[in-house]
Amino acid sequence: MIVEYAWIIPLLPAIAFLLIVLFGKGRKEGGGYIAVSLIGTSMILSLLTIAEVVLTGKGYESTGINWLGIKGFQFGLLVDQLSSIMLFVVSVIGFVIIVYSLGYMKGDHDVQRYYAEMSLFIASMLALVISSNLVLFFIAWEFVGLSSYLLIGFWYRKPSAASAAKKAFLVTRVGDIMLLAGIIILYINLGTVNIRELFVLAPHANVGMLTLATLLIFGGAVGKSSQFPLHVWLPDAMEGPTTVSALIHAATMVTAGIFLVARVYPLFTPESLMVVAWIGGITALMAAAMAVVMTDIKRVIAYSTISHLGFMTVALGVGGYFAGIFHLFNHSFFKALLFLCAGAVIHATHTQDIHDMGGLWKKMPITGTAFFIGAWSLSGFPPWSGFWSKDVILDNVYAYNHVLFAITAGAVILSAVYIFRLFIIVFMGKEGKATKHAHEMSRVMTTPLIALSIGALFSGFLVFFGLKSFLMKSLPGNLVGALDKASAISAGTHEYITYFSISLVAIGIITVWAVYSLKIVEARSIRHTLSPIHTILINKFYIDHIYLFISKKIIWNISVIVNYIDEYFVDGTVNGIGKLSIAFGRKLRKLQTGVVQDYAAWVLFGTGIILIIFKAKGGMI
Amino acid sequence: MIEVTVFYYLVLSVIIFSIGAYGMLSSKNGVRLLMSIEIMLNAVNINLVAFSSFQGNLTGQVFAAFTIAIAAAEATIGLAILLALYRSFGTVNLRKISKMRW
Repeated sequence: MIVEYAWIIPLLPAIAFLLIVLFGKGRKEGGGYIAVSLIGTSMILSLLTIAEVVLTGKGYESTGINWLGIKGFQFGLLVDQLSSIMLFVVSVIGFVIIVYSLGYMKGDHDVQRYYAEMSLFIASMLALVISSNLVLFFIAWEFVGLSSYLLIGFWYRKPSAASAAKKAFLVTRVGDIMLLAGIIILYINLGTVNIRELFVLAPHANVGMLTLATLLIFGGAVGKSSQFPLHVWLPDAMEGPTTVSALIHAATMVTAGIFLVARVYPLFTPESLMVVAWIGGITALMAAAMAVVMTDIKRVIAYSTISHLGFMTVALGVGGYFAGIFHLFNHSFFKALLFLCAGAVIHATHTQDIHDMGGLWKKMPITGTAFFIGAWSLSGFPPWSGFWSKDVILDNVYAYNHVLFAITAGAVILSAVYIFRLFIIVFMGKEGKATKHAHEMSRVMTTPLIALSIGALFSGFLVFFGLKSFLMKSLPGNLVGALDKASAISAGTHEYITYFSISLVAIGIITVWAVYSLKIVEARSIRHTLSPIHTILINKFYIDHIYLFISKKIIWNISVIVNYIDEYFVDGTVNGIGKLSIAFGRKLRKLQTGVVQDYAAWVLFGTGIILIIFKAKGGMI
Repeated sequence: MIEVTVFYYLVLSVIIFSIGAYGMLSSKNGVRLLMSIEIMLNAVNINLVAFSSFQGNLTGQVFAAFTIAIAAAEATIGLAILLALYRSFGTVNLRKISKMRW
């Protein structure tokens, strides 16, 4: 009933975008109330939609609008269990962040643009979630990329923000091209881009082709969800306002990649899933390690996001379809919460360096508590939400491959380490130099924190209310059986893995407590002993350096050569032909003397020649 | 007595045509040019009539009559153009009337 009108959900924020662009100017809050009310309405519709999908137990797919009359290009809606969960996440988190923005962005000189772009961002993500075919999906995907570019470069007068926006756009573009190539391969070989139709055709398709196509599609996800080796844009994306970071990290941007993999999950072959799993595992561990050494509050959380996206990817790769989406769901809440807390801290202290902070708990009790809840949930210590999804992930990974399990477990320890390191340095201990004038935020900013805290605490308990069987309905039946079989193997070891992961997290937390709070060992001396590792980590594994080397040395030189060829060879040929005809024409025009008898002479001359030819050919022409 | 064959007529025609062509290409005066064209046309007429007479076919003579009529029309138009040129240039010297050039 309501599902059939799900297209209104992305339409409302899009309308908000237009309204704010047209009429936002001159309003004091810059159109913030328009955004809040329309996105709020769309959130209510999303809640009704998910409620209906839960109650009726089935999704809805519209027949769609024919586009350009091309076969297989029907633009339609696909609201199944997976997309309704995503609708819920995107609209709720988006709404909370927009409300928080009312306080956070107050007094910024350009709030109208801010609200317009945020609305566009949320609209495109909602459209992406419910599109029933890959072409419409790709269009929405590009809109997501565009609005993230606009928002990361929101303070475009700052050179670092402008270049971060460019970096995000270019790096994700690499993935986008791969995604497009994957879609084209699917369309050429299977003749449709409709997701449900692809599911039906996939089992009979050529396995090699499917592997290639899914790997390319996963390439798109690698770019958007900032997996290794395309993760470099996400930490730099911190140049935007913190609310934008929260939206990118929790709801709209990076989850798009994970959602993409989940959306076309039945197309993946075991070979391509193996790549997915290993990329995810490597990303999780690398990013977690980098998060431990960062000193910028937002960067720590940014690397934490990359690491947790790695968890989701590895979960999807090892066949844990439910585990990946469940973690996405939980992660959205605690990550949005952490970012909004970080925003509040930055707002209060006017710095992002964690060593200038300290002892903020007393000054900002609500923010501190909220951050603590987020950290607890993220670290995966029971009983809050992060624990439940991380538990399922580890379970699935263990059943798949033990080396990968070790990598993931390492990332789990590091997760606990970096987030509590951050918490202790920022909120506990002595007052830092930026702490003095800090004070708690206004009500409009703390209320969203409380709302998200509730989500971060309890979203994991949904696993007891049939979230798994609900989500599994969005997959074709035969695949569900295969996945269940794979997870059944791990059932015997399940409890041990749970205890193991809890103890891992506990070790991490205790270590951090010992180092940063009790100061049994000085953090500085640890850094000193491990200085080679520290250097590598602080330089982000030199991946940025490699990219810079490739682009500045190799690609630049190739471009110089290509430019030379273009300028002198291609252009030279074209211009040469032009010059030749000009010179020739200059000579030829002299024939046009203006004297009528000259023309008559030419006519006689020509006739004579024709007659000679006539004679030579023996009277025949 | 020499028998008069078609060959003699053709030679006469060639001579008159060449005279006309020479006059057309070399004369500076526009009126002379028109007169030369008339000569060339008459050379053609001789050809037509000669062939017609020697082949016993009237078509050639009919064509000659047509040519005369059309030549009259052509002369009229040619003279009218020449008159118009004289009005705007003040001369009928064709070497001086050469504005339409590069």
